[in-house]
Amino acid sequence: MDVPETVTAALADRQVEGQVCLEAGAGVGNATAGLLAAGAERVYAVTDDADHAATVRERVGDGNADRLVVLEADLRATPLATDSVDFVTAHGLCNVLPPADLTPIAAELTRVAKPDGHLVVDDYAVPPADAAVNRLFALENTAARMVDGRPALTFYPPAMLAAVFVDYGWTVERKKTLLDPVPWTEAHLDAHAEVVRGYAARLPDSLGEPLTAMADDLVAAIGSERTGTMYSLAFRLADG
Amino acid sequence: METRALGDTGQESTVLTFGSIALNWLEQEGANQLVELVLDHGVNHFDVAPTYGDAELKLGPKLRQYRDDIFLGCKTQEREYEGAARKIDRSLDRLGIDTIDLYQIHGLEYEDELDTITADGGALDAIREAKDDGKIDHIGLTSHGNPELILDAIDRIDDLETVMFPLNPVVAGKDGDEYDYEAVLERCEAEGIGTLGIKAFAKGSWPSTDELAEADRPYANWYEPVDTPEVIRERFDFAAAQSLDTVVSPGDPKLVAMVLDAASRSTGMGEARQRALIEEARHNDSPVPEQLHH
Repeated sequence: MDVPETVTAALADRQVEGQVCLEAGAGVGNATAGLLAAGAERVYAVTDDADHAATVRERVGDGNADRLVVLEADLRATPLATDSVDFVTAHGLCNVLPPADLTPIAAELTRVAKPDGHLVVDDYAVPPADAAVNRLFALENTAARMVDGRPALTFYPPAMLAAVFVDYGWTVERKKTLLDPVPWTEAHLDAHAEVVRGYAARLPDSLGEPLTAMADDLVAAIGSERTGTMYSLAFRLADG
Repeated sequence: METRALGDTGQESTVLTFGSIALNWLEQEGANQLVELVLDHGVNHFDVAPTYGDAELKLGPKLRQYRDDIFLGCKTQEREYEGAARKIDRSLDRLGIDTIDLYQIHGLEYEDELDTITADGGALDAIREAKDDGKIDHIGLTSHGNPELILDAIDRIDDLETVMFPLNPVVAGKDGDEYDYEAVLERCEAEGIGTLGIKAFAKGSWPSTDELAEADRPYANWYEPVDTPEVIRERFDFAAAQSLDTVVSPGDPKLVAMVLDAASRSTGMGEARQRALIEEARHNDSPVPEQLHH
């Protein structure tokens, strides 16, 4: 698969070759593909979503059987040993975490990282107030809150995510802008609308149907939009 | 307009090269005006070929008028000595000049063509002979083909001074070896070979001829071009940011003024924006699966 430019750029100034890596929140395996392409000795692709696990195996499994381990696990409690990973990535992860999970996951990633380990956290800055995509993201959050009481998306300023990891002993080594602007394509907006549809399906029709209709209308109205930025933070864990 | 060294040729080319195929679609008077417009914008590198209809003939008058201001590239699709020697003389004759500054092997596509070109009695013999005779100054190559084939040509043609190949955000986002023009750029930089970018303004393939007859296409380009000022500026800035020495203008004359404006006003493009364009193209192009993230 083609490694996204965002991943390539985030890893470009990092030591990946020969490293034992962990992609936290593997999604469709974007960072996993980048880590393997950059010569990682082994990549643990961890996700709590069975569909994502299958997608990662399908997209990047071929030819990497000896280097790729796809783990279905909760990121707050992975089966990985303490001090076992050289390099951790959280590429586009934090914005989809329930906010209450952020610090337990930071704690767990710190536990599995070696004492001199490295970490890359890539995420979206808070979109500008006048961005049209905000309307779709807000609808997504409404749907998520109605179903399980927590938002689907939370955008953190880079300083905030940095502070979360600094609290666990990480030091920020660099900050970089990955995308400026962020191209929210029709495919991305469809994927977000699909999240709304997923929540809507779990609600009574009287609630779910208007949500779905609103999502469809928003996707049609927005089409695509370039807005906001995506950033990358690189950390190292202080010795001792 | 910004100029850049064309490899080690000694030529300082403007960052925009005029693709003179655009002249083929104009009457002589319009062709003269277009060349004047291009020169008014400071462009000093022109590219033409005998296969571009009447472009050589229509370029002739203004080329001769401004010969000292124009670095001219021409090409041949001939692969053997006789054909190439004939084409060089024919182009000189049709252009009405004594020397072509850069003569390029045109559209290299297959390994066996490279064998023919470099063999005894191949096109390169004719091109080198023409160089000794003062009919051409520098030797180049153009290809839409496999980057590995271009690298191979660089290995096998010691006196190769420039290469021309496609580069745009769609191509840049693809990882396969068949799209690895980055490797070509790197090699050229290391060896002092000049680089010319084509297809910078390509949007995609035309719809099939069943859907849109060739005669009904709104542009003469053999691909569907981008055609609004903002997107043209963006595409130019992107291509110019890829460490190409110069970017060739699109083949339809209707687009040339917009491209000249873009090149004149260009102030570069940052890496985060370049990545945004690549990611946008990749997702617009992407089969499955749909993704929330970049």
